[in-house]
Amino acid sequence: MLEIENLKTNFNTYDGVIKALDGVNLSVKDGEMFGLVGETGSGKSVTCYSALKLLPKTGEVVDGKVILNGEDITHTSEERLRQIRGGEIGIIFQDPLSALNPVMTVNEQIGEVLTLHQDKELHKIATEKEIPVYQSKKFSFSPGVEFTVLAICISFISLFSMLGQFSFGLPFFVIIALMLLRDYLQQDISDSALDIMVMESLSRVKLPNPRQIASSYPHELSGGMQQRVMIAMALAGKAKMLIADEPTTALDVTIQAQILQLIKDIQKEENMSVLLITHDLGVVAETCERVAVMYKGKIVEENTVANIFKNPQHAYTKALLNAIPKGGKERLKVPDVGEYGAI
Amino acid sequence: MMGKDIIQIKNLRKHFPVKNVWGTDIALVKALDGVDLNIESGTTFGIVGESGCGKTTLMRTLLRLVEPTSGSVHLSDQLIGQKGRTLENLTRLELSHFRRQIGVVFQDPMGALNPRMLIKDIVSEPLVIHGKKENMREKVIELLNNVGLGEEHLYRYPHEFSGGQRQRIVIARALALEPKVLVLDEPTSALDVSVQAQILNLLNDLQDKYDLTYIFISHDLSVIEYMCDRLAVMYLGKVVEEADTEVLFSNPRHPYTKALLSATPQFFAPDKKKMMILGDVPSPIIYLDGSKAKLATKMTEQERLEIKAIEGKGIDYIVRSSLNEVFPLKKVSNKHYARVK
Repeated sequence: MLEIENLKTNFNTYDGVIKALDGVNLSVKDGEMFGLVGETGSGKSVTCYSALKLLPKTGEVVDGKVILNGEDITHTSEERLRQIRGGEIGIIFQDPLSALNPVMTVNEQIGEVLTLHQDKELHKIATEKEIPVYQSKKFSFSPGVEFTVLAICISFISLFSMLGQFSFGLPFFVIIALMLLRDYLQQDISDSALDIMVMESLSRVKLPNPRQIASSYPHELSGGMQQRVMIAMALAGKAKMLIADEPTTALDVTIQAQILQLIKDIQKEENMSVLLITHDLGVVAETCERVAVMYKGKIVEENTVANIFKNPQHAYTKALLNAIPKGGKERLKVPDVGEYGAI
Repeated sequence: MMGKDIIQIKNLRKHFPVKNVWGTDIALVKALDGVDLNIESGTTFGIVGESGCGKTTLMRTLLRLVEPTSGSVHLSDQLIGQKGRTLENLTRLELSHFRRQIGVVFQDPMGALNPRMLIKDIVSEPLVIHGKKENMREKVIELLNNVGLGEEHLYRYPHEFSGGQRQRIVIARALALEPKVLVLDEPTSALDVSVQAQILNLLNDLQDKYDLTYIFISHDLSVIEYMCDRLAVMYLGKVVEEADTEVLFSNPRHPYTKALLSATPQFFAPDKKKMMILGDVPSPIIYLDGSKAKLATKMTEQERLEIKAIEGKGIDYIVRSSLNEVFPLKKVSNKHYARVK
């Protein structure tokens, strides 16, 4: 599915060139859960950003190849990349609240992905059901504007009636009446194709009341729900591959278990490939089939999950496993960070 | 001096009012709802729970950074004066004395250190405030040596250090006034596992050296199991289970504890039977008008969807809303208490 060959990424800083990736080789197969573990600064996230060309301006891929489904996307055009991001590879980020746009409703955000990557599907649904594609013909302002207009009208009505000039308030009565009439007339208008697909993608991630959630803003949802919305967004473009960059770090353990179960279920149902980036070895052990351990911009060990935890080969992997408290009270073995520099 | 209670918390409550636009109370957030804890001297007492369950409020109430609604905190003679006192009745002077005896380490070391102060000033600030100005330089160097830093770090700023080193500085500052109790609020959750191991080892060394009592707040159960002697599990402002660590880990009684233990990812036995909590963390807001006075105990739509999703996969589950039913704290066995039927 995704193959990364000898990828090298440098960051140009005032202190000189930093080699963030130093020859990374990685291959995620079709329908596989692949884990990438490592500590802060080991280059896990940079690997995924380099593969999708999402690096900041200071970052630069200097060498290597990224192959997606047999297509070399290392030097591909920006236009093609835009199709790939979201269309063929979906991404989930660590902190859902900062990854979601706070001033857009869930509906608008998922809708954006759908209009970019699922336009044909939208038109198909629209012609089949004879409904509009993007916007239903409902006419209304945003809730804030509606409320303000209503409040102004009511205050003017009460002001004039207090002054004894009741007839002056009549125009405001008319405005309120028109608003109510509008809502009454519009109640039968059906959803657009976009609305239908947004609801579909929300119910795929097991969210109840998709209609209510679609119209809410990210801050109104709990952390687990936000992450579910993120997953819905990543999957909305019918991507065959999902990159999850620390999807559960910001969540509680009980919610983490739910989200991991959800990712596992969806992966199985749709036979997707998932690249799970995390620093938590436990998460990898419970979800992935194969795992690669990163250290200082290199992959130091790659194996199946069962083997790597039972029989770690590389000194760094051993040190990492030893550093985790596991039951007993014996003193933890602290890995000496400088020690494993030479690989 | 093991075995003697250094802090006794009795029926502690802290309710935060929720006000509407006109300023009248419409609801309460019961951050602490009748917490009873006895913390033994010289041990490590762990507090676990989800975000929003009241762990941090408990810590803040313990330091009297917020005033409790009701209940009392009894401090032993080790901490304060001759006979021991309750926290509410302390005078200003006594409170200052009490705060000298209790050090705090916060979660995010960068947020806890003033970016514009030198390390020397940061670590010596408690000494200055409490008027212990003699031999300050030597004292600061000694403190830094204690946590594995040295004299060469005195004239640096926090941003020049790595995450683990920053946490060491915070610990050095907390130890500046030679406290008897150290409150650790998620001290390692912002750190990598290798750095976490360093900090945990350091904390154990310091405890042996100074005979400290730790109150260890965390949501990482592997860390809790490693560090703590006794453990309280909190859920929605209440202690739902309290026991010695080995007992609690081998024989959890409350359904929430069971689910919490099962939800922690483990790489030693990943195939063991899972127990999941379904549904979202309930809102802790309790409305004062009768209609919505209680937390819902009916199954929500979300939970129904999730049950459907995991059906037939051999996963045990607990529905979140069933946890809202509260049972009185019962003695299960010696020193093991749980809120079960």
